[in-house]
Amino acid sequence: MEPKSCSGDGNPSRNLHPSKPLMAANFLRCLSRIQQTATNSSVGSRSRRIRRAAYASMAYSAGHRRAWSWALLRKLRCRRVRPVILPRRPRIARPQVVIEIDRAEVLRKLVPGGTGMDYCRLLEETADYIRCLATQVRLMQTVTDSISS
Amino acid sequence: MGPARSSGVGSGNSGAYTTEIAESLRFEEEIHSIVHPSLDSSPAAGGSFTALLGLPANQAVELLHETGPSEAPSSAAAPSPTGELWRLRLGEHAAGPLHLPLGCSPTFPSNAALVERAARFSVFAAEDSPELSSGGGPSPRLKAEPPDSDSPPPLPIPTEKTQRPAKRKECEKSKAKGPAKKSKSAEENTVAAPKETAAENTDGEKLPYVHVRARRGQATDSHSLAERARREKINARMKLLQELVPGCSKITGTALVLDEIINHVQSLQRQVEFLSMRLAAVNPRIDFGGLDGFLLAECGPLATANGRGGVALDPALWSSHPVTANGARWLPQPQIRHVDVWPTQQSSTAWTRDGAAHPHALLNPGASLFGYDPASSVSLNSNQLKTEL
Repeated sequence: MEPKSCSGDGNPSRNLHPSKPLMAANFLRCLSRIQQTATNSSVGSRSRRIRRAAYASMAYSAGHRRAWSWALLRKLRCRRVRPVILPRRPRIARPQVVIEIDRAEVLRKLVPGGTGMDYCRLLEETADYIRCLATQVRLMQTVTDSISS
Repeated sequence: MGPARSSGVGSGNSGAYTTEIAESLRFEEEIHSIVHPSLDSSPAAGGSFTALLGLPANQAVELLHETGPSEAPSSAAAPSPTGELWRLRLGEHAAGPLHLPLGCSPTFPSNAALVERAARFSVFAAEDSPELSSGGGPSPRLKAEPPDSDSPPPLPIPTEKTQRPAKRKECEKSKAKGPAKKSKSAEENTVAAPKETAAENTDGEKLPYVHVRARRGQATDSHSLAERARREKINARMKLLQELVPGCSKITGTALVLDEIINHVQSLQRQVEFLSMRLAAVNPRIDFGGLDGFLLAECGPLATANGRGGVALDPALWSSHPVTANGARWLPQPQIRHVDVWPTQQSSTAWTRDGAAHPHALLNPGASLFGYDPASSVSLNSNQLKTEL
């Protein structure tokens, strides 16, 4: 897909990404579908669906070039097949001595697909993820503003 | 003239500038007498020499004045490194005058040193005055040179340098200020200025590698080099991230920056969740499909890459369609993905044209109760959306 930058990203070394109109189209399509299918469901479930739609549209726009979008899509696809119900085990409280927070680990947990990367790649993916998330947030903000006004 | 030259160097070492100046003047005269007969043998090189010698000797004297005081503190080390530096400049800028002394040396073996010195002076005479001033510049840098650089006798070194610049000219892209030092010292002690090769020590041939200069006191083996490259990559990425995250550029220290980045990602994810809840709670009767088609028209060429098939939208058909609430052509949502390739210039007109048509045409059967008002408000909001996008 041809990346078109409308978000004013002034970073010359990166791809011109995210493509805002594409993300908007994706997201709105998902929204309309949600609206069609679940008109009488609860707010909570709908919000969950909308959130998933947001991430899905984000990942779709990012395409397969990015590790995080790839991992996100996989996660979303698997989730849609069957909702995972984890068997709950009573957690034994172990005394954990945390001396130093491994920030790289925290970041890996946050960014989708971050567990299987080296640090350098992780930083790159984080930058792209942040950019995409910011665009998505701005998009959703615009939609809600335009609807509620 | 060997003993004479060494005595000249010795007098320079002792710090008697005037004797050195006088000797340089003497050298100039001797050079004049030497070089002119050689003009017949090598006219091409001779042309350069005459051009070089066209400048008066006071420039060389001036040069000596400049380098003289700087030579005082490190008297032993200064002349020969400067000689090598000049020799290097010689090789870098013009191979002609460089080869000439070598070419002349068979004919005047006793004056090889003289001719080298002359070439040295003449290079500075030929070049502009900024060159002269910069000639004084590197010399304070050379004070940092370890004294062992002076241990090899000065005479063989210039000849060695003549070969090195010729080789280096092939593989170096930047100005060769001090790779001569590198070849002598095992550990690189030069100031980190332009990019030079580090692997040139091992391989004097043309290198396709990235040329990196090691900083003072840093090792040059391949492991540390790769590590250094990796570290620089990481630093570059961190800088990018700092630019992305607002308020992160002022923070110093990797840990705090990472904290800020993590906070920012978490806040963005929380915002997505919050907004999705808002969207779910918002009036569900709003026709998202209208907005959808509206934006789809703009990004038609991009949407085709999505891979979803569907009917092609005909813009003319849309505009000519009468505005009705019911009975409009309602195409199922998933099908309206494939759009004709719209020229971008027409997009602005397409907005106004189809902004009114689309919401009506894409009405949900469930939402057909809307009638005109919400649709018009939706189209208005779509315009607003478009401007905000």
